[in-house]
Amino acid sequence: MNWKKVSTEAKLLLIGIPVLIWTMLPIYHLMLFAISPKESALGGQLWPDHPTLQNFRIVFSAQHHYLEHFWRQMWNSLFIAVATGVLTLVIATGAAFAISRLKVRGGRLMMNLALMTYFIPAAFLAVPMYKTMGVYGLLNSQWSLILAMTTIAAPYSIWVLKQASDKLPWELDEAARIDGASPLQLFRLVYLPLMTPSLVAVGTYALLLAWNEYLYAFLLLSNDREITLGVALGNFLSADDSPWELLMTTGLIYALPPAAIYYAFKRYMVGGLTAGAVKS
Amino acid sequence: MATVSFNAVEKSFGATKVLHGISFDIHDGEFVVLVGPSGCGKSTLLRMLAGLEEITAGTIAIDSKVVNDIESKDRDIAMVFQSYALYPHMTVGDNMAFSLKLRKADSKMMADRVAHAAKILNLDPYLARFPRELSGGQRQRVAMGRAIVRDPKVFLFDEPLSNLDAKLRVAMRAEIKALHQRLKTTTVYVTHDQVEAMTMADRIVVMHDGRIEQIGEPLELYDHPDNLFVAQFIGSPAMNVMNGHVKRGGGAAHVEVAGGVRWPLQQGPGAEGQAVAYGVRPGDLRLASANTDGAVPAEIVVVEPTGAETELLIQAGNDQLILVTHGRPNVNPGDRIGLSIDPAKVHVFDQGTGARLAA
Repeated sequence: MNWKKVSTEAKLLLIGIPVLIWTMLPIYHLMLFAISPKESALGGQLWPDHPTLQNFRIVFSAQHHYLEHFWRQMWNSLFIAVATGVLTLVIATGAAFAISRLKVRGGRLMMNLALMTYFIPAAFLAVPMYKTMGVYGLLNSQWSLILAMTTIAAPYSIWVLKQASDKLPWELDEAARIDGASPLQLFRLVYLPLMTPSLVAVGTYALLLAWNEYLYAFLLLSNDREITLGVALGNFLSADDSPWELLMTTGLIYALPPAAIYYAFKRYMVGGLTAGAVKS
Repeated sequence: MATVSFNAVEKSFGATKVLHGISFDIHDGEFVVLVGPSGCGKSTLLRMLAGLEEITAGTIAIDSKVVNDIESKDRDIAMVFQSYALYPHMTVGDNMAFSLKLRKADSKMMADRVAHAAKILNLDPYLARFPRELSGGQRQRVAMGRAIVRDPKVFLFDEPLSNLDAKLRVAMRAEIKALHQRLKTTTVYVTHDQVEAMTMADRIVVMHDGRIEQIGEPLELYDHPDNLFVAQFIGSPAMNVMNGHVKRGGGAAHVEVAGGVRWPLQQGPGAEGQAVAYGVRPGDLRLASANTDGAVPAEIVVVEPTGAETELLIQAGNDQLILVTHGRPNVNPGDRIGLSIDPAKVHVFDQGTGARLAA
């Protein structure tokens, strides 16, 4: 390793270490709460005197007033997140294919109009969305949240997938057309397999967006058995003597699935599938 | 096996007209090369035949059946793309079988066809590999295999060798030629490389600015170019062309160029004083000693031996010429020499229209 490499490495570390600390510190405190006994949870120590997994036991066995529907709410979060991911994918993939590959007239305009909805902060749209869902009788149904989250995730997803599919070589479509593929066969047999990495990335994005959503979930769902775990966590703060250690433990558990999903699909986020299609 | 006819075919992209009424016929089993500089419309014409571009006006017929409104997949053609366009997520075998799968072909027949094509192209060992695991030449062969498996009426090649290195290009050239001799399928091949055109074609269509300049067999184009464009486009190194005026009188006709050099001419072409382009192929110039009677005085500028042949860059008056000769002439830069020319091998074109003047 020569001097230049060492200095580059050092500069990267100088940036990397503070960023790491900056990101990890809140998570560390989250974990600290989770393994502290109730009495010493707010003690302000950097490591508890008697670390315990008791909090996890309480959460997993739903042995607290706030945690009565823990498993049910966990399932709600999962169902809503997965449904949002799948629905967004279906819509965005179809739209991106139509705009990018079939060159449907007005496709780009539609995409830009959809993107323009981002000019209005989602929080401002919450009340109109609530009214709309009421009109269709969807309030307090999980589908209201799924549809709302899909609406929010779709424009960006369409844009990302459109950019990705623009990069697929056009000759592949032409070759498939000459080989006798109908647009639907082109979509299924050529387009989808080649888009897999982008589809996984976009699906994960929509899924995590819905998983982490609080405002819409809080507004559109109210029944304790229908709400997501995220909303349930918020409800912890409704009393003065909130069980902080349980709140943090549940929060830690709630943060694990996204981390796991991200880790599992990490390799898909890196392209490379199209290597060898055309000479680049 | 099929014939192809282009009849007054035109193509416009918006207000820009890129093809101005192309008409010619391709015979059954013929290997026709469309050649021309980039932007001449040759690829567009091929893509119109493939059904990938709309036909603005005129008709294209395959086996006398007009295909203007028939979709690509129903035209019974197969195309090899410059970029190969292999499906990256499919193995070589699946790439080749794809079109048959779409046609719901019987799996036994499909396997037979793929095996047959793989054998012809020496791809047997690679059937289970993915395109990314192949070299450029192998990918090109897979693209050809995909076409062969179809057993189409017409093969279309769109600059298939441009992405290969020089050595591989020569090898693949011979392979495609051999393939055609074996399968005898009507083939339309687009290239900008006149050497490819000359070596592969039964007939060449030279295109320029959306028009056909000349159609003919390779040597016919070489020996009797219809116009200055074809004369300069076909042949490597390119034909030497000097601008001058026809002078007659005293029995011998000649073309006098600026600087006073006189190039010998047969009695036939050109009227007295007509402004002409005087063309002579590098191989038709002969070295002579400086004082030979009737030889054009000149001076050697550069000597480029290539082994079997030697290329000489020669200054004659204001013009620089290239002379190619077999063997290794004993000359050096700066030598004064003479150039002797057989007037029968000279090409004379009108300077204004570029058209060949009858000899």
